[in-house]
Amino acid sequence: MKKFLSLLLVVVMSLSIVACNKTPGTTSPSPTGQGDNKESVTIKFANYAILETGYEEFWNSVKEGFEKKYDHITIEWVTAPYGEIVNQVINMAGGGDKVDIMFAEIGWTPTLEDAGLAVPVDTILTEEFLSDFYPSILDAASIDGKVYALPMYVSPYVLYYNKDLFEKAGLDPNSPPKTYDEMLEMAEKLSKLTTEDGNKVYAFGQTTASVPISGSSLTSMVYNFGGRVLNEEGKLDVDTKEFKDAMEMLKLLDEKGYNPQNAKLKDLRNLFALGQLAMYYDQSWGFNGVSSINPDAKNFTASAAPLAGGNGTGESVIEAHTLVLMDNGEKQKEAVRLLVEYLVTPEVLNDYLADITPAYPARQSMKDIEAVVNSSVLKGAANSLDKARPTPFIPAMNDLNLELTTLAQAITVGGKDIDTAIEEFKTAANALID
Amino acid sequence: MKKNFLGSLLKYSMLVIILLFLLFPIYWVLLTSFKSNMEAYKFPPTFIPESPTISSYINLFTKNNAFFVYYKNNFIVSGFTSFFTTILAILAGYALSRFKFRWNAWILAVLLTSQMFPVVSRMISLYDLMGDMGLINTMPGLILALIADMLPFAVMLMTSFFQSIPRAVEEAAYIDGASRMGILYRIVTPLVKPGMVAVVLYAFLMTWDDYLHAATLIQNDALRTLSVGVALRYLGELSYDWSLINTISIIGTIPMVLLFFSFQKYMIKGLVAGAVKG
Amino acid sequence: MVSTARKIKKPLLKRSTGDKLFSGILVLPAVVITFIFIIVPIIDSVIKSFLDFRVKNIISNQPGTWNNFENYIKLFQNQKLTGAVINTFSFVIFVVALQFIFGMILALILNSNIKGARFLRSIMMTPWVVPTIISALIWMWIFQPQYGLMKYLVQVFTGGTVADFAILNNPSTALLGIGIAALWKQVPLTTLLLLAGLQNVPDDMLEAARIDGAGKVRTFFSIVLPYMKSVINVSMTMAIISNFKQFPLIWTMTGGGPDNSTTTLAILSYREAFVSNNMGSGAAVTTVWMLLMLVVVFVYNKLMGETEVD
Repeated sequence: MKKFLSLLLVVVMSLSIVACNKTPGTTSPSPTGQGDNKESVTIKFANYAILETGYEEFWNSVKEGFEKKYDHITIEWVTAPYGEIVNQVINMAGGGDKVDIMFAEIGWTPTLEDAGLAVPVDTILTEEFLSDFYPSILDAASIDGKVYALPMYVSPYVLYYNKDLFEKAGLDPNSPPKTYDEMLEMAEKLSKLTTEDGNKVYAFGQTTASVPISGSSLTSMVYNFGGRVLNEEGKLDVDTKEFKDAMEMLKLLDEKGYNPQNAKLKDLRNLFALGQLAMYYDQSWGFNGVSSINPDAKNFTASAAPLAGGNGTGESVIEAHTLVLMDNGEKQKEAVRLLVEYLVTPEVLNDYLADITPAYPARQSMKDIEAVVNSSVLKGAANSLDKARPTPFIPAMNDLNLELTTLAQAITVGGKDIDTAIEEFKTAANALID
Repeated sequence: MKKNFLGSLLKYSMLVIILLFLLFPIYWVLLTSFKSNMEAYKFPPTFIPESPTISSYINLFTKNNAFFVYYKNNFIVSGFTSFFTTILAILAGYALSRFKFRWNAWILAVLLTSQMFPVVSRMISLYDLMGDMGLINTMPGLILALIADMLPFAVMLMTSFFQSIPRAVEEAAYIDGASRMGILYRIVTPLVKPGMVAVVLYAFLMTWDDYLHAATLIQNDALRTLSVGVALRYLGELSYDWSLINTISIIGTIPMVLLFFSFQKYMIKGLVAGAVKG
Repeated sequence: MVSTARKIKKPLLKRSTGDKLFSGILVLPAVVITFIFIIVPIIDSVIKSFLDFRVKNIISNQPGTWNNFENYIKLFQNQKLTGAVINTFSFVIFVVALQFIFGMILALILNSNIKGARFLRSIMMTPWVVPTIISALIWMWIFQPQYGLMKYLVQVFTGGTVADFAILNNPSTALLGIGIAALWKQVPLTTLLLLAGLQNVPDDMLEAARIDGAGKVRTFFSIVLPYMKSVINVSMTMAIISNFKQFPLIWTMTGGGPDNSTTTLAILSYREAFVSNNMGSGAAVTTVWMLLMLVVVFVYNKLMGETEVD
């Protein structure tokens, strides 16, 4: 016991000495690719999806396939929950441990760029490879004219609707609404339906819960009305009729009880899967969540282009899953280039886009891959991508999106007056933007 | 008589209400874990499963069985943390209760206040620090951070336990020529066994509950602990699988329930002694 | 015993230095660990609250720059802080007060010679051992707006007049919803501690009171409560601290929404530091938070201390 205790003391003391020496002021050595062995390279790949059911298999097969093809390269996963992976990657970099590549939402790009982590993709990828990507999609991931995230595949906010419920309400399941006015008419009929066990059917779902992605979806709704949240300079631009129109619609939907209150996208997916929600906005890959709750959902699910409201023409926000690349020296960069070129190909992505994550390819040469052409889920909204616009990036993107959800909550569940709520939003948002 | 009857009616109805509040949610979760997803989403809910199924459990143990790793890790982390915390707390608690020096008051004040500070506030700096020591993404790193988190309360608990032991025993031993360490190890420590067990269990339970430390300091899935693992694996972005969530809730709680019920005598005694005397 | 110790004079002197050394060595590890992993980070965080310190600084290893209290000024200007302070206090007061009341009631009942008290005392502890994340999930499931148990119960008890009860979706009730979850997890421990305190009240005092003809209520307030003072003190201080710090429960259940109605200081600081990636601003929130907590605990102890004199 005595011996043990003294040993323990020694350990603790030596640890503390190390700590005291190193804490303030000392600069930790900058991370570089270590090891002289030219052959073997390990790529650190930050990926939240590797741990989500439904995605895991795909990503493991990517790792397997890639490591087989390039046997000198190993992929090492860095994982964290979806909501925390950005902090994780940033914290790690702060501790001198920078990942090489990250699977990310397009909305995370400005944060990662602002942190000095993301590098322009053309510093790693070849011009030839990049030239195959739709310029408009690359634009969506650009900051000051430089592309900081490579979109793997993209999606507008698609309007999913339940064909069975349409039929039950006496509506034509093959002609979904095109405008908000049409939608409201249909919603009246749809909201009178009940499920088999007598539960309410919500007519129209728009997420408003306190998560950044809901803010992005709300931005898309503002776009539907021809408005915007930020102008090209990244300044707030909400004193418009269009913006107010969108908010009024949100309030109306809430008052009529069409929209499930304060719901996350995953709540909407659940309700939709259970036949308790007739229409809702989601990214195209949200369907994966629907079908994991109810495998039969593909029989009644159809998609349509985003609605047009007020003076708008039904524009929406481009969402994309992207690869953010970071610079850890030439050797790492080279391996990352090989990985990206391996990953974003029809061979690798086809099955994934067909079965797991319905979405539209970002490469022109992949336009006609089977996964998209044959997808019953994607067909209806296929043309809406033309009308999807990128959002301007600001470093405080996540926070701005959260403020948007606060605004939406204020006018719906909070019962606040729209003008007051918009003023409050402006105060909060302006504080973030400068 | 009538008054008495009303009194006990009131008493028993309060008892039932509070116990229902405390225990029904557990029954509810247990119940849901035996429902299929489609039945779980029924409204009005069923209070006895219509078609009980263990498919969520099968799913959890076969397909979504990553939690085994989190379980194992959590046992390792919580085990080491409570072990070291207890030893350090015994040493410090003994010193603080037996030897009256000016610094004691300061140390106690520091411990007391450090207990009050939110974990969030030290996460950023802690990360820096751990990074410099090369302890990020390692179990020893997490364990050290958790020991620090547990120590203040543990030391105070141990101090109050030592205070309840009469000094006479030690004086006698000292005069007999026993060394200080010997007195502590052979004579005093056995007397505070209930306190030790209480501290071990307390630290174990509290670290089993830890979320922020593990979420920040660990990125490697093979090293994750339960709370983070649950948030990660079973609360994904895609959808809510409520029967799976309810199942993991049951499975994640069982070890703590077993632990608590097997040692509740010590645990209750320890906590109570700490609070009554502290 | 004391006299024997006094007799041996010479070793006594030596003994005191030896004691000093020994006791110093014993406390050292605990002190060092606490210092490195708690005190240093906290001081560091207070310093950062006066700096413009963002993610960039972490990554490029650059120190922050002094920004003339701008973190604080901004926080006070955009009123987020006020809302968060109000939410935090409402939450703490609500949970701690109810926890005391429920805990006391249950403790009194369990202490009143009812059958199976020991058994009940054991099983009622179960919520306390449920990990926080899991208790958040349990209550989210119960509060689920479309098919949750709570919606059903409210529907039944109001005769169907309130058909859509979703406690977490309404800004005026969301904090209450989290409070219920917090109470659920915390009432057991409080009950246990209060019960122990009750059992510590000497029987002869109670007997004397009964002989004097004091009523139950009077006995409770003039004898039982004063005797339980230290237990109440400890358990309430613990409750205040842990609810002041409450983070995972709120973060999991509402993330601070709807309409910021559950944004407490814990949530605000996490959001500033880790969502907005403005560590300086997040640190400013935690600094204000720590100061408030110190004030609250100080005032509480002062109040409790003063009543002791009476």
